[in-house]
Amino acid sequence: MTPVVVPDRAPKKKSKGPRIKPSPMARRRSLTGWMFLIPAAVLIGVMMFWPMLQALLLSFQTGRGTALEYADPLWFNYDRMLDDEIFKLTVGNTLLYLAIQVPIMLVSALVLANILNNPRLKFKSFWRTAIFLPAAISLVSYSLVFRTIFATDGLVNDWMLALGFIDSPINWLGNTNTARFVIILGLLWRWTGYNMIFYLAGLQNIDPTTLEAAKMDGAGPIRTFFSVTIPQLKPMILLTVIMSTNGTIQLFDESFNLTRGGPANTSMTMSHYLYEVSFQNNPNFGYGAALSYVILMMVAVLAAIQMKVGDKRD
Amino acid sequence: MKKFRSGVALAATATFALTLAACSGGDSDDSSADPGSGDDAMGTTLTVWAWDPAFNIYAMEEAAKVYQQDHPDFVLDIQETTWEDLQPTLTTLAQSQEFGELPDIFLMQNNAFQKNVINYPDLFTDITDSGVDFSQFPEGVTAYSTIDGANFGVPFDSGTAINAMRTDILEEAGYSLDDFTDVSWDEFIELGKDVLDKTGKPMLSGIAGEPDTILMMLQSAGQSLFDAEGNPTITDNEALEEAIAVYAEMVESGIYLEVNSWDEYIGSIVNGNVVSTINGVWISGSIQTAEDQAGMWGVTNLPAVDVSGATHYSANGGSSWAISSNADVALAADFLASTFAGSTDFYDTILPSAGAVANWLPAGESDVYAEPQEFFGGQPIYADVIEFSAGVPANNTGAYYYEARDAVGVAITQIMGGADPATALGEAQSTVEFAMG
Repeated sequence: MTPVVVPDRAPKKKSKGPRIKPSPMARRRSLTGWMFLIPAAVLIGVMMFWPMLQALLLSFQTGRGTALEYADPLWFNYDRMLDDEIFKLTVGNTLLYLAIQVPIMLVSALVLANILNNPRLKFKSFWRTAIFLPAAISLVSYSLVFRTIFATDGLVNDWMLALGFIDSPINWLGNTNTARFVIILGLLWRWTGYNMIFYLAGLQNIDPTTLEAAKMDGAGPIRTFFSVTIPQLKPMILLTVIMSTNGTIQLFDESFNLTRGGPANTSMTMSHYLYEVSFQNNPNFGYGAALSYVILMMVAVLAAIQMKVGDKRD
Repeated sequence: MKKFRSGVALAATATFALTLAACSGGDSDDSSADPGSGDDAMGTTLTVWAWDPAFNIYAMEEAAKVYQQDHPDFVLDIQETTWEDLQPTLTTLAQSQEFGELPDIFLMQNNAFQKNVINYPDLFTDITDSGVDFSQFPEGVTAYSTIDGANFGVPFDSGTAINAMRTDILEEAGYSLDDFTDVSWDEFIELGKDVLDKTGKPMLSGIAGEPDTILMMLQSAGQSLFDAEGNPTITDNEALEEAIAVYAEMVESGIYLEVNSWDEYIGSIVNGNVVSTINGVWISGSIQTAEDQAGMWGVTNLPAVDVSGATHYSANGGSSWAISSNADVALAADFLASTFAGSTDFYDTILPSAGAVANWLPAGESDVYAEPQEFFGGQPIYADVIEFSAGVPANNTGAYYYEARDAVGVAITQIMGGADPATALGEAQSTVEFAMG
């Protein structure tokens, strides 16, 4: 017997039925909604999206100063980037900072948040303030202070010499690896507290009964942490990973103020190079705009990957 | 219902009002625009953007006093702006075509002049025929602000290089200032090694990775990083190779101390850790902050590089005043012509207090310049510097000077790290060619 194909009860195309006019009350409410939305939407459109579109058009232009004209082919600047040795170096530097600094920072922030969430901890508000305080300091100030501290005759070398750890002063900012290390150290110092606050907030939302249940099942603190706490913190972890990636790829202040691009451009980041191309060297704004779009692409791609991996809505 | 509607209207207006307030608030943050622009009759106010209150701004204030003797209504409004802020500001104003925000006069680094005039000619006024007599400035200095035969800047700060030496330490090693005058770099290194042996102090210091010393050597040999047509000449540049070889030998033998920051460099001089320093004459201001070393310094000319056409004179830095396109040109030109390009009284005033050595040649003939300087052991160093200025070879900067400077800095760092000089310079040349392409 051939199976009978039963037609769908509901037709595929949703029929709206007779169009019901919204009541005057409802219409006024939706109008109100639009009235509140429109100023902000216009503002964002004019202040953000319009300049972004103009930047895209600018990235298709070549020429120095104000003598800009559309390139032939349009993607000339992007093509040129592939031959730019300094740019490739800065991409390597930035990705290095991303790969090393972000995982260490987020893991430390998670661990610290978990410790500070303990209800029996003394002086909790002091610890939280102390760890968060670096995030409240201006980027330029702390970069300059770190530059002074890590100078050849600076505080760190003085202490290490006095304590006998080293025989002669380390040239922190004059060697490639130590210069990069100092930048990563600065970033860790500054942003761990910031991410810790996010995790603390996330931890408040965890249902304590789940933790009790784990305890009753005989799970130790570490097992609880990995199997119960972290899965429930997933949305917060995803948020901080995306924000940290975004911030690190766009890194500028530390590269500009702390190491000034480091010995022979080896600690320079992409944004710092962009600034040099636009304002320090012979101004090439079309190329600078192309650089900024490449940075945007990198952030977008990484964010998309992270969301794909992390945002599995069960 | 009325309440509801008025509530919505209020919310919308409030948002728009806040937006407008924020926008207009942003405009008033800019430096005040000159209201006297475009007038045919000469006004009485000039606005100036410059950096360094102890030097450039002080000089401008003194110039205003001199001008006010004949023009009592004259008012000068100086706005302090560091060079790191001034250059991006000029770039931004030019790109957005907001010339109405420009002041009447602004100061500009000589090395950046070509780049700015070539890219943004709309920022400047051609002052070739404005009444300023450019023949009274050394040609090597006016060349920075001359593009296609037209003058755009009045030279001010002299970047003429000096070799300032600690005469007491030289004596300790059995030498005098004369032993280091009109020498070649090879002789300097020989003597320097001896001084290091006898006193334990290096001759010179400088910031690692910064090419200033090498570029001064290059300019003293009459060469530049670019040729007259603007092509980079980093490779196949005998003077540059020679300069780098000299630099490398000095660092390796310990007579050139590489430091990491400006503060360390000044510290090495002021704390007596080095015997001498070679830099623009403006370094004398920093040297003189070491009051305990008064009377123990002397000034001489530079060693010569071992190439044909080498001299004992060079320059580092220096700046010139530019008249903007938004200026009261008649007033600004008259002001500059009467003071910076016309008043020996003015230069006499600023010299003792700020150490500001004139580029303007007639100023050097005044008595103040011939006065012995106690700090420098009674030597009339400023008269000597004027003599040096006349012998400084011109330097081709072009629009890509900063790219070339950075590339050479990178090459030097690599060479000091052990890289082959020819390869490193080749990379520098291709970096600059890429940047120009």
